Amino acid sequence: MKIWVCIKQTFDTEEKIVIENGKVDEKDAEFIINPYDEYAIEEALQLRDELGGEVTVITVGPDRAENALRTALAMGADKAALIQDPSLVGDECVLARMLAEAIRREGFDLILGGNFAVDSGSGQVAIRLAEELDIPHIGSVTGLNVNGRQAIAKRDAEGDTEAVESTLPVLITAQQGLNEPRYPSLPGIMRAKRKPLERLSAQDLGLSDSLKTKTLIIEEYLPPEKEAGKILEGDLDQQVQELVEALCGKGLSFN
Amino acid sequence: MALKNKAVGAHFLIEETEKSSLVTPEDFSDEQRMFAETTRSFIEKEVVPKDEAIESLDYGLTVNLIRKAGELGLVAADVPEAYGGLGADKVSSTLITESLAKGSSFSLSVSAHSGIGTLPIVFFGNDAQKKKYLPDLASGTKIAAYCLTEPSSGSDALSAKTTAKRSKDGKYYILNGEKQFITNAGFADIFIVYAKIEGKDFTTFIVERTMEGVSLGPEEKKMGIKGSSTRPVILENVKVPAGNLLGEAGKGHVIAFNILNIGRFKLAAGVLGSAKEAIRLSATFANERTQFKKLISSFPLIRRKLADMNVRTYTLESMVYRTSGLIDGALKDLDYSSSDIGWQSAKGIAEYAIECSINKVFGSETLDFVADEGLQIHGGYGFTKDYKIERIYRDSRINRIFEGTNEINRLVVMSTLQKKAVKGELPLLEKANTLKDEIEDLLENRPTDGFLKQETYLVSAAKKLFLLVLGLAYRKYGLNLQKEQQLLSHLSDLVIQIYAMESVLLRTMKRLEKLGSEKAENGLDMMRLAIFEGFDKTESLVKEALAHLEEGEALIRRLASVQKIAYRLPIDAIRLKGRIGMRVAEASRYIV
Amino acid sequence: MSRTVLVFTEQKDGRLRHVTYESLTAACRVAEGGEVVAVLFGSRQSEQVEEVGKYGASRVYVVSHDDLHQYTPDAYKQAMLQIIGEVDPDAIIMGHTAIGKDVAPRVAARLGLGLITDCTDVCTDSGEVIGVRPIYAGKAFQKKKFIGKKSFVTIRANNIELQENAQTPAVIPFDVTIKDVRSVVRKVIRRSASGVDLSEANVIVSGGRGVKSAEGFRPLQELADVLGGAVGASRGACDAGYCDYALQIGQTGKVVTPELYIACGISGAIQHLAGMSRSKIVVAINKDPEAPIFQVADYGIVGDLFQVVPKLTEAFKRALEEK
Ligand SMILES: Cc1cc2nc3c(=O)[nH]c(=O)nc-3n(C[C@H](O)[C@H](O)[C@H](O)COP(=O)(O)OP(=O)(O)OC[C@H]3O[C@@H](n4cnc5c(N)ncnc54)[C@H](O)[C@@H]3O)c2cc1C
Repeated sequence: MKIWVCIKQTFDTEEKIVIENGKVDEKDAEFIINPYDEYAIEEALQLRDELGGEVTVITVGPDRAENALRTALAMGADKAALIQDPSLVGDECVLARMLAEAIRREGFDLILGGNFAVDSGSGQVAIRLAEELDIPHIGSVTGLNVNGRQAIAKRDAEGDTEAVESTLPVLITAQQGLNEPRYPSLPGIMRAKRKPLERLSAQDLGLSDSLKTKTLIIEEYLPPEKEAGKILEGDLDQQVQELVEALCGKGLSFN
Repeated sequence: MALKNKAVGAHFLIEETEKSSLVTPEDFSDEQRMFAETTRSFIEKEVVPKDEAIESLDYGLTVNLIRKAGELGLVAADVPEAYGGLGADKVSSTLITESLAKGSSFSLSVSAHSGIGTLPIVFFGNDAQKKKYLPDLASGTKIAAYCLTEPSSGSDALSAKTTAKRSKDGKYYILNGEKQFITNAGFADIFIVYAKIEGKDFTTFIVERTMEGVSLGPEEKKMGIKGSSTRPVILENVKVPAGNLLGEAGKGHVIAFNILNIGRFKLAAGVLGSAKEAIRLSATFANERTQFKKLISSFPLIRRKLADMNVRTYTLESMVYRTSGLIDGALKDLDYSSSDIGWQSAKGIAEYAIECSINKVFGSETLDFVADEGLQIHGGYGFTKDYKIERIYRDSRINRIFEGTNEINRLVVMSTLQKKAVKGELPLLEKANTLKDEIEDLLENRPTDGFLKQETYLVSAAKKLFLLVLGLAYRKYGLNLQKEQQLLSHLSDLVIQIYAMESVLLRTMKRLEKLGSEKAENGLDMMRLAIFEGFDKTESLVKEALAHLEEGEALIRRLASVQKIAYRLPIDAIRLKGRIGMRVAEASRYIV
Repeated sequence: MSRTVLVFTEQKDGRLRHVTYESLTAACRVAEGGEVVAVLFGSRQSEQVEEVGKYGASRVYVVSHDDLHQYTPDAYKQAMLQIIGEVDPDAIIMGHTAIGKDVAPRVAARLGLGLITDCTDVCTDSGEVIGVRPIYAGKAFQKKKFIGKKSFVTIRANNIELQENAQTPAVIPFDVTIKDVRSVVRKVIRRSASGVDLSEANVIVSGGRGVKSAEGFRPLQELADVLGGAVGASRGACDAGYCDYALQIGQTGKVVTPELYIACGISGAIQHLAGMSRSKIVVAINKDPEAPIFQVADYGIVGDLFQVVPKLTEAFKRALEEK
């Protein structure tokens, strides 16, 4: 089995966010593997150990992203690839095409990714990648079994669980609950140094700057300061009504 | 001088140290950072949530967790690869020890196992012993304990009463005796036991829990580290195979002291981790607690505390990693294929016995200070068990007692120094002869101003003052100086201050060079405070010592000369502490 | 610049979802005088046609196909592509739901379009469509725009204030062909209502000494059930034996960070605050207006929890049914 895991190195969301010139300032930030991608890595490792084959972790990112790949190698992945080219800056559309090129060249049976990245929160790249490669995908997966060429997944659909079946090759996005990701062990960390990590440029992938981004970030900013607490007034029914209306407008996810 | 590139302990006392030779946290490799990350995640996710059960002394849980830690390689750092370990460098293993600290009692259990429990076999075991025991110890499937202390021999460890009698056929030793306060005793499989063969040759044995005649006394009801097992180990006619004699008969003291060196150093790494945790807890609390309609973290007195805690911890951190780098330096050129590599390694580490004791004393006293101030920040809540700072405060206390009490360690610093001088390893006496010229030199070149210059000067001046007092003490007492404990303790404190000040100075200069003045600013502020406060202590120790060593006119002359050497324009500590405290409060954790 | 905006609607249990109305409201804004076209999957239901008309759709495509009863990415993608081909919209809007977030990226990839997902607001500025979206788990926001003529956004529920814009829509039945559905849904297990884990709950209703008895926790549980949340407690309530220590939130209990924390009859000792002060929104209900809990609350109701909580449960029930 050729298993790929697409990962992203993300800002640790436990960190304080600082905005500098209309952009989130990442200068002094701590970086981690996107937590959802950790589930994807863990699942890939378990499937490899069960079915044989090889796990390759791949990312598009700056130099520092190599650390995330090394961590995945330390967890037990076999190979890593870092796509990096200053000429290729772009949105999810561009990212998915780059990944598609790199993965297509090598062949694949199963591709895993996280449900979304905790920094940008867009949740597009993996699913776009499936479309680029013209394979089916199952999103937001909390359980996965592979039998021969058949994949059976539990998909989380807003709390309901769907049992979904598909044939390989397939792309899976991992949701919390899929597994309990392992820590990279110390011997694993030492071995990771010696595992292959390939760097790929646009030229290597045969891509040119014809890959244009389709969306642009205008600005990033902090949410308005939390307003001072408010003691509601009026008769009790009014207060209750005001509260419910206020809460329903806050984008909370009930149920 | 020829000492430059050779590993010689304590040579910082007589020479200037090149900052490039210093290992600092800023030099950690990615791999080392990942070791730390795995360790921290393990503690955070597997140990901290089970804290309550661990504190109620659930052996099974602790054993399980040590196994899990073993699976991740967390107890294997110091074991050579050939025996199932990682054979990692000391900077890595120090970082692992530091990162374990948040696990409180559990961390102590782990460290006792992988440190004083396992290392005797690593360093002094023969191949058969290493093959038999190390793989299980490195994987955490077997747990070790270290049995030196006895009811009647604590600090005076060599006066142990436990005996070993050789059987007639020479195949066994029969051990009898009682060991006291043995960490991990409740669940350990393997005990490193010190006993005297025929009542005289102090010797080390590997004893297994399952051997007949091994039993345990009751758990101590302790003030702190309640989740660690501390029990007497009782040996009644235990038949230990001759093959379990560790090292050589009559060489037990070599093993004991060498292992203590490492134990002391690891203790410092552990308390460093706890100090950082205490700062995190206290700063976080200060950012949550409101009084007089303001967060208490906005009050200058609270900030001052946070600053003091952070500065001491920064100093300790600089010392600990400097020391681990020194030890790595001593180990790196050894011949790892030779059969006595263990002995050689122990010798390499023993070269830095003084530094190990310095770390132990400074570290344990730093944590006590940090825990105490941290508790104070918590107010009444810190006095309740709801808050972890209360635990840290209690847990901290043992560190000044075990691995050699701080009194004993202070004495060790000076007795080791004396041995080095006598052996000609450290030209202390020669230095005393040229001291007068050197002091003149120093004064002549005293900087009037200039960035970092005054701090550099003060570190050099402290060294000269130490040599001055040492020389006078020898002149007055000669070899009887070893009976003058108060004076020795003062000298030892001077050595500790010098190492602390110099470590912080060199690290900060290295950071400045690497990161630029903006990012190094907090470090610079902390360094200045550390050095000025360290020098205040230095000066008062020197004065007290002089007042004992000299009298009348001579004393007045000496004091005048000290005054001259020690002259310094004070820094605005109030402003610096305000700034540092604000940064700690903002970050809600230890920051450099 | 007026636009044709295509809205993919979504239903649950036979009713249009709230996010669909929000999508239509956003669509009217983005249309800037152009036309809003809605798509209904399922057989024709006049009631729903009327509803989408009320929020601005002037044309409604009704698409009915056996393969569209249960969502699969392949079937939905094919259907959407065919409708998009037919309508040729300038902008596409749908909810960032289990379906929307799963299919929109595929459709966008196939069409080579940019996509801005999970928007809490959509607007236009100097001829450009702009999506506003939370990033870093809501700790910051991002404004994004499109390069190229077509825009495609998915929007997060419960953020856009609805605005009616009554139209009488033309109804257009539309046939789609669907083939090669590569993933099949074998079974759907509905989520069970209760048994939400405290440390993972989005909503926590928590009780203190003011709850007065174990019995007193019942109204709290009812409110939690309506909100899909869990019940928690302060140490005071646990010590008094009103509930199990497993529910304790605070310095010595669990530390929780739900989106909504409703503290009922909890005074707000600092030990308790340590366990919940990082909740996104805190509501406090307490008889004592001086209770420190009000200092960390975003909304406070001074009153008897046994009166307030049941009313709140009813009001939420009504509000959520409307969605
Ligand atoms: C929780 C715990 C865990 C321990 N774990 C272990 C373990 O795993 N293995 C092990 O072998 N031991 C262990 N110990 C023992 C520990 O190392 C000893 O307690 C320590 O060495 C001090 O010995 P003591 O308690 O007999 O005190 P003493 O030696 O009686 O000391 C009492 C006081 O006298 C001072 N003193 C002693 N001698 C001198 C001197 N020459 N000059 C000046 N002052 C002096 C000491 O500094 C101290 O203040 C542990 C102890 C505790 C409490």
